[in-house]
Amino acid sequence: MTAIRPEATFDEAVRTAKGAPTRRKVSRKSWQTVIWFVALGALTVLVLYPLVWLVFSTFKPNAEFGQNPGLIPESPTIDNYLRVFEGIAGVPLWRFFANSLFIASMAVIGTVLSSALAAYGFARIKFKGVGVLFAAMIGTLLLPFHVVIIPQYVLFNRLDLIDTYIPLILPKFLATEAFFVFLIVQFIRSIPRDMDEAARIDGAGHFRIFWSIIVPLIKPALITCSIFAFIWAWNDFLGPLLYVTSPEQYPLPIALRLYNDQTSASDYGASVTASLLALVPIMAFFAVFQRFLIGGVATQGLKG
Amino acid sequence: MTATTPRPTNASGPARRAAANASAPRKGGKPPVRPGLKLRERREGLAGYAFLTPWLIGFVGLTVGPMAYSLYFSFTRYNLFSDPQWIGLDNYIRLFTDDPQFIQSAQITLVYVLVGTPIKLAAALGIALLLNYRDKGSGFFRSAFYAPSLIGASVSVAIVWRAMFSSNGPVDSGLSIFGIELGGWVGNVSLVVPMMIILAVWQFGGTMVIFLAGLKQVPKELYEAAEMDGAGAMRRFKAVTIPMLSPVIFFNLLLELIGAFQVFASAYIISSGTGGPAGMTNFITVYLYKRAFQDGQMGYAAAIAWVLLVVVAVIAFILFRTQKSWVHYAGDNR
Amino acid sequence: MFNTKRTAALIAAATGTALVLAGCSGGSSGGGGEFDPDEETTLNFAFWGNDVRAGLYDQAIDLFNEEYPNVSVQTSFLPYPDYWERRQTEAAGGGLPDVLATDISYLRQYSENGLLLDLEPYLGEQIDTGPFDEAVLGSGEVADITAGIPISTNAWGLFTNPTLLAEIGVEDFAGGDWDDYTAWIEDTTAAAEAAGVEAWGAGDWTGRIQVFELQQRAQGEELFTEDGEPNFDEDDLRDFWNQTTEQREAGAFIPQQRVEEQLPLGAFDTALTASEMTWDNFGAGYLANLGEGYPELNLIEPPVTEEGAKDLYQKAGMLLSASAGTDHGEAAAIFIDFMVNDPEVGAIFGTNRGLPASETARSSSDLSGLDAQIEEYEASIADRLGDAPPVPIVGFGNIEEEFRVLGTELMFGTVTVDEAVDRFFTEMDVALNS
Repeated sequence: MTAIRPEATFDEAVRTAKGAPTRRKVSRKSWQTVIWFVALGALTVLVLYPLVWLVFSTFKPNAEFGQNPGLIPESPTIDNYLRVFEGIAGVPLWRFFANSLFIASMAVIGTVLSSALAAYGFARIKFKGVGVLFAAMIGTLLLPFHVVIIPQYVLFNRLDLIDTYIPLILPKFLATEAFFVFLIVQFIRSIPRDMDEAARIDGAGHFRIFWSIIVPLIKPALITCSIFAFIWAWNDFLGPLLYVTSPEQYPLPIALRLYNDQTSASDYGASVTASLLALVPIMAFFAVFQRFLIGGVATQGLKG
Repeated sequence: MTATTPRPTNASGPARRAAANASAPRKGGKPPVRPGLKLRERREGLAGYAFLTPWLIGFVGLTVGPMAYSLYFSFTRYNLFSDPQWIGLDNYIRLFTDDPQFIQSAQITLVYVLVGTPIKLAAALGIALLLNYRDKGSGFFRSAFYAPSLIGASVSVAIVWRAMFSSNGPVDSGLSIFGIELGGWVGNVSLVVPMMIILAVWQFGGTMVIFLAGLKQVPKELYEAAEMDGAGAMRRFKAVTIPMLSPVIFFNLLLELIGAFQVFASAYIISSGTGGPAGMTNFITVYLYKRAFQDGQMGYAAAIAWVLLVVVAVIAFILFRTQKSWVHYAGDNR
Repeated sequence: MFNTKRTAALIAAATGTALVLAGCSGGSSGGGGEFDPDEETTLNFAFWGNDVRAGLYDQAIDLFNEEYPNVSVQTSFLPYPDYWERRQTEAAGGGLPDVLATDISYLRQYSENGLLLDLEPYLGEQIDTGPFDEAVLGSGEVADITAGIPISTNAWGLFTNPTLLAEIGVEDFAGGDWDDYTAWIEDTTAAAEAAGVEAWGAGDWTGRIQVFELQQRAQGEELFTEDGEPNFDEDDLRDFWNQTTEQREAGAFIPQQRVEEQLPLGAFDTALTASEMTWDNFGAGYLANLGEGYPELNLIEPPVTEEGAKDLYQKAGMLLSASAGTDHGEAAAIFIDFMVNDPEVGAIFGTNRGLPASETARSSSDLSGLDAQIEEYEASIADRLGDAPPVPIVGFGNIEEEFRVLGTELMFGTVTVDEAVDRFFTEMDVALNS
């Protein structure tokens, strides 16, 4: 096992960082594989049962939500789907999906860019004040957000940004969710510095090191952040509740509450159906992105 | 691999060895920096702040102000409508001396954190390791296990979870098979907290994904080297997986603790915003939310929030102090 | 160069700016604003409700625009709890919509803090008050201003489920005093058990503060004085809760566990109880949630405390108010008038917003089924109707919720009546003083 030689060139370091294909040892112990499948399969049944119940319940008429707790609908119907596809108060259903998709996509771009930059600054650059700032960043994780709602609302109201998506998206581009910064920091800190050093010697600046060495190496972390950022933004309810006014701008989490109003009739069939439909895009998003989580993404450049 | 692989002789194992090995040749090759030391420091400072710029703007512009303002609220009586009135420590005094609801709230939150967090972490790590065992077929399981975490906090969660744990629901019937007659959990004062813990554990997918990402970053070579040295599965796990994964374990531990202390959405949705039955889902954040927005006691709510912040900050501080002894940062070894 | 002190100073400075930014609460002044029908005006209008109500409002606004084509109405709607969270935030941060639906329990808080426009100058001008009952219109007056115009009225009533009662094999409650009602509940519960139907006569009726209020009013006492002081003592409350202690312990009421399992629905929604006392506008929701199996409800008078007492009252179920900060006061008044009084609008909504308070709106809505029952009911209780109590004190919502929670805890047995009384008075003290 050799480390990168100090005289290794920058290009070499980059090439190694991007990861040469790894040989995989194929396990021949097929009985272990069988156990593996059986154990995970059983677990899957357990974990997915509530979701299956949810799928079946979308075919229950409204009254059964109170009166039939069983899995199978007594008088199955597709009315819930028909009602949901009608949209809400003149706003077509696809519009809510489009709104959510826009917000969530911007959230992914903003979060990954700004958090990765900040994380590199925290993890790899030694400068005065970094310790205090890091502690401050962790500190922002600790306060329940409900007590900062009002001041934040005042801020965005003063800037005349109510009923725009800017209060929802701008914070993502400013890495205000410390969760992501801290996550990437942890990943960067577990990468040995050899390649950075090699690149430095070749005269590469921090930005080049960040972009050409670190980013490829922390791909699993960035994928994870993308998945989380997308799903959190997709499911975010409070932000849009406070900042979006027009029903045609509502994202899904608000839209699917509009079927219920405790002061008049509540349409649980429609809201469960809508929330299930809302799962489909994020399921797809996850299914696509989780692929990047398999197979030696990073080899740390330790291969000689 | 030009392997002059050292035999693993001590507990630090190949991981640390690899890192140490890797950094060894660097010393000699480092060009002497003498005249520009000050300059270099300044350049590093500039670069540091450049990378932090977006975060700093957000921090200063969007986060610090509102946080400071909420601290100020906590010393006032503030009903959201008229200007806050300064009342000194009154909110804090009331909190600790004259509020049985807060005491109950703190108790159930502690139980939720202390019981729920370890179970969820263990489940997430265990299953991540299982999934990491082989790639083929694991994509399906990954998606299946993550699915419960996708669902967010919509009314669907309330409906499905209540159905699962109602009298004669699947859980009740399932346990009856084993002769355990607990009845419904949802409306049972002593079973609601366990039910909420199971809900949290059910949504272990997010934590699992982070563990998986961490496992993917462990260099395969380290395992190969260890295997060549004749280390068994258990030994490889202890000497390679754990140290290499420790930064991610640390992250998940800390964030899960923080998240559990701040549990809100699931409890709020499941109890239809009441914190019931009999206050058993009235976790700290649910309680402070109700105080702030339903009762118009924003000042008091802010005091609760800052007490929670201090408690969690102390725990976080202690955790950060323990890092040295068990968290291994390959990039910090110099 | 970059030292900690500097950073700290920087953060402090930034914090200062934010504090200045946030240093605003309460409503901005403004109000008034003449209406010129030829000028383009935009009114922001927010209400609570579901997709169905939103669709009806869209139709009503189309009608409005036929008459006032230059007023564009931007609607925004949310379910009730979310609606109020958003409004609370706006109230604190400035920026309430021009016209908003309000609820009697929030009216005092909003108007006392100067957030609502006084509609008094528009009464009899832009807003036609002729079709309103004097007392009902008066329920929108608080802190010397007309803070809201009632859309609908409701009254406290007793719903029963005749289909379920037939299944159980028990006659409907025939009226009487509280003991009669309690005895009827016991009979119904016992009969249901005998018939093998999983149902109960009712939940514990001492769980709602409105019932306490009803009994207090029968003695000629309001819950709160005009100054917002409590008008009852520990003993009153203890006696009230003790009326059903025996039945609570004997299992005459539906167990609280079964109630909790139904949430977000109620036990009456799911045909687990045969009767429930509540505001009469809840009927439509019950029917919808009960579904086809239970196609009708009966609505009857609550039990009598004192023969001939004026214990019941009509309250404004939903009101329309204008924000004090609106630039289009007159346009807002015209819009409010149209939404509460217009006969065609009345016909569009029927009783979706409750039984219309305005005579013109009510007479043009073709009431049938349950809607007609509610109208009949409110007419039938005329000799039990007294003056509405003063607009609820600030913090009433909090007190009402605490009362409800303690009711559930009494059912769970996690508190005794004495402890519940203590806790209630402690909580009320805090609520009234904050």
